[in-house]
Amino acid sequence: MKLKSIFIQITLYCIIYTTTYAQNKYTLSGAVRDGKTGEELIGATIIINEIPATGTSTNAYGFYSITVPEGSYTVTAQFLGYQAKTVSVALDQNRKIDFVLSEQANELEEVVVTSQRKDENITRIQMGVEKLDIKEIQNIPVLMGEKDILKTIQLLPGVKSAGEGNSGFYVRGGAADQNLILLDEATVYNASHLLGFFSVFNSDAIKDVSLYKGGMPAEYGGRLSSVLDIKMRDGNMKKFGVSGGIGLIASRLNIEGPIVKDKGSFIISARRTYADVFLKLSKDTLTNQARLYFYDVNAKANYKINDNNRIFLSGYFGKDVLGFGDTFGLNWGNATGTLRWNHIFGPRMFSNTSLIFSNYDYKINIDFGGNTINIISRIQDYNLKEDLQYYLNSNNTIKFGINSNYHRIIPGAITLGGNFESDGLKLSNKHAWENDAYISHEVKLASNFNVEYGLRLNAFSVLGPGDFYTYNTKGDAIDTASYASGEFIKTHFTLQPRISASYLLNEKSSVKASYGRNVQNLHLLSNSSSGNPTDLWIPSSNNVKPEVADQVALGYFRNFKDNTYEFSTEIYYKKMYNQIDYKNGAQIDFNETVESQLLFGEGRAYGIELFFKKRYGRFNGWVGYTLARSERKIEGINMGNYYPAKQDRTHDVSVVGIYELSKKWTVSATWVYYTGNAVTFPNGKYPIDDRILNYYSERNADRMPAYHRLDIGATWTVKKTEKFESSWNFSVYNAYGRQNAYSITFRESEEDPNRTEAVQTSLFTFVPSFTYNFKF
Amino acid sequence: MKTSYKLSSALSFVFVIAVLASLISCQKVIDVDLKSTEPRIVIQGSITDQEGPYSVEIHKTVNFNEVNDFPPVSGALVVISDDLEDSEILTETSPGIYTGSSLQGVPGRTYTLSVKVNDQEYKAVSTMPLPVEITDLTIRQSDFGPDKVVDVTFNDILDVDNYYRIIQIINGARQPEIDIYDDEFNNGTEINYTLFTDSEDVDLQKGDSIVVLLRSIDEPTFEFYRTAREALGSSQSPANPNSNLSNGALGYFSAYSVRQDTIIVE
Repeated sequence: MKLKSIFIQITLYCIIYTTTYAQNKYTLSGAVRDGKTGEELIGATIIINEIPATGTSTNAYGFYSITVPEGSYTVTAQFLGYQAKTVSVALDQNRKIDFVLSEQANELEEVVVTSQRKDENITRIQMGVEKLDIKEIQNIPVLMGEKDILKTIQLLPGVKSAGEGNSGFYVRGGAADQNLILLDEATVYNASHLLGFFSVFNSDAIKDVSLYKGGMPAEYGGRLSSVLDIKMRDGNMKKFGVSGGIGLIASRLNIEGPIVKDKGSFIISARRTYADVFLKLSKDTLTNQARLYFYDVNAKANYKINDNNRIFLSGYFGKDVLGFGDTFGLNWGNATGTLRWNHIFGPRMFSNTSLIFSNYDYKINIDFGGNTINIISRIQDYNLKEDLQYYLNSNNTIKFGINSNYHRIIPGAITLGGNFESDGLKLSNKHAWENDAYISHEVKLASNFNVEYGLRLNAFSVLGPGDFYTYNTKGDAIDTASYASGEFIKTHFTLQPRISASYLLNEKSSVKASYGRNVQNLHLLSNSSSGNPTDLWIPSSNNVKPEVADQVALGYFRNFKDNTYEFSTEIYYKKMYNQIDYKNGAQIDFNETVESQLLFGEGRAYGIELFFKKRYGRFNGWVGYTLARSERKIEGINMGNYYPAKQDRTHDVSVVGIYELSKKWTVSATWVYYTGNAVTFPNGKYPIDDRILNYYSERNADRMPAYHRLDIGATWTVKKTEKFESSWNFSVYNAYGRQNAYSITFRESEEDPNRTEAVQTSLFTFVPSFTYNFKF
Repeated sequence: MKTSYKLSSALSFVFVIAVLASLISCQKVIDVDLKSTEPRIVIQGSITDQEGPYSVEIHKTVNFNEVNDFPPVSGALVVISDDLEDSEILTETSPGIYTGSSLQGVPGRTYTLSVKVNDQEYKAVSTMPLPVEITDLTIRQSDFGPDKVVDVTFNDILDVDNYYRIIQIINGARQPEIDIYDDEFNNGTEINYTLFTDSEDVDLQKGDSIVVLLRSIDEPTFEFYRTAREALGSSQSPANPNSNLSNGALGYFSAYSVRQDTIIVE
């Protein structure tokens, strides 16, 4: 393969290049912090002014390391929205310098769109990556005024909303379960609250959000389409603070402060919705018995043992509660926990060791006059991760690490109480052990040419105990093999090569290219249109092969007017293997042989993304456009021909505008337009008994109507001083009341029994809301 | 007492969502430009352990936006035979409807339907299960509001997989819900099944007469109704029900035994 040979050549070149380089060199290392809160800044740039084109940026823990020849230098640390700081250094030995940056006084800078160096978008190797500024999210109008990172990323090109008001998303033609969502490194299996209308991420607790749409660095693996890496805030190191918000449907409270000043800090953020309080006020006996709310808590603490050792403990806990009187209850939620230890092995080597726990479960309780049914389902991860970064010199950074993750899935257990004869039913638990090792090398081959290449090895082992079935082509189990606890049933190995390169054409523009392979061993089975909390995760097995995707992408990046305007375009082509779809009439719920209901095949997705952004000034915002296609080819569906995936959308447009009218008032608007999803509509009908059944000929051969919507918002800053800040946020979701189709169903006509009709259901036409925010 | 938890849980979930959705959603009838299709053959036939005559209906599909006027298929050779070599050619009594005269179903036997028309042959096989008696019918208040519902009780047969279809006829009007049940969790025990109605018009009043039919069906028929019910629901990838007919015909052929009971609302 041609790509492989290029890969090998580059590898060889890099090794030679690295080893032939030798001089008297010293390392400058340290951290970059926010002066007010003491929090580390992620992605701050360090520049050695005497050596142009030499620079580095801080990692996820605010650490930097740069190695240059002996000499006297002036070193500048900069971070957007902060005043740059320059110090003089006589580098005659390894030195440690921490930079403390202050926020810029100019408030206009608060609505900047990225938190990076001004031309970071052009200079960094990574393409297909989107960084979100948490401050920016506050000004973008959203449903019910609950600012939401998942809904904001849906406004970026290549990222599409899973539906009306939905926090689920599709990236570059991938399915909703093909996004790896990490909260402080822990996988979040269900990022939705309230059936998708809100995400589980409370933006008060979030420090940094990065979305990788392609060319993922080798340290990430596990899902096909994207990585959404969310990092929680560490809490204020300097002083105690309280902030919060009171909204139409939810309230939030955030408390943070030092444990020991400049040594350790904590943060606790919590929120709860209270729609159920209004439901209780209803006179309708059906409505007032309904329960519907969610709450979540983010908590984090960290402590610096000394200059070289620091520990972090972070956790998330969230729960959705939906129910009706004593008769019915459905609760679901995630819990994650991460214990991390940062260790610096000398000035050039940074290590992070993480112990990660993740749990997602749902419980259903039904009680009919003492006869009870309890259903539980759960997925858990126990994960040990070691990541090392070695800053060899100013031109070479090597990252490597291992990851050992034990997955335990309880697909479903039913317990019956009362007068039931049987005790219940339990689908057999699934166990899997997933091990990964990776290495990547980032190298500056020339002052305008950067390459990062790497390799990730994944070994996914399906473990006993359990019965494993072999199916014939019809899907009947023809053989069963029983395995004891801990026995290896099958191990899938996958090698994932990754490479990204950027070439600076001049100061203002660059071209980038990337290739990457991703593998996915946990698959979500969902046959509902909205994504239910009861959707089922299944591991790769003897029947289900790992999903694999190869993606190539090419991009052009250009900035105008001193980086005020940014333009980028990327084209991508993605080939996917072992994609999963369902047989006609597939039975997914409580089926021990659920694998027999699946069909496997391949997929392809390709498209072009255009992005134009004004980054600074009183008026800023962006326009994104995606032209794309996503198709599947699966034996047994549509005669084995390519057909559109459900998330195939030809056009997708987002426009975001934010305008600062005065110091007190900021107004904003977003407009989105996209082609309707591919769906299956009936082509005919026929009578069966007393019903009319629809006749379907092809899967996903029809389209939902196009979707468009305008949201407007305004933020009124009432008071802003060092001691106290308060603001009001007003928004209108779907301002021109477009009745977008949430679903279209086909039924026998209610007026004329001799006819059938199509019925469109719309949600959320014109939803005003307001939120009061405070901070002291 | 046993409760049909599958249906109950699905129903209550749908119910809660429906209450919530009604607060924020709106519905309207729209025109959708649907692709038309070549008419397909639809066969539905059954044989029971009751006295006949049994009939087989053959139609063609029509496009969705047309009226419910399904063209009959005439001139077919329709034969029902069993595994003991009893067979009968059905005669076309009205266009598209083929009726037998002599054959009566016997539980335990396997029946084959053969339809030959326009140089094509469509076949289906169905085995008639043993009948199951209704032991009790009761009327009680629904768990979800003031309406009354009917509970039907029967004793499942041990050692075999049983599949049921339950039909409710209120004052002579057959209810359209597809109520089916299998004994996966209640093998050999007493089963109590609650018949809910989707329609808001059905409100059981004193003096109403309710006839309940308990059909014992075979697995392919159960599969047909299960997938038909799914197709009538809101599946992400709706599909035609799994038919036991060969050669791409839509519909089903079912041999079933049936028992019935009646209750009057007091």
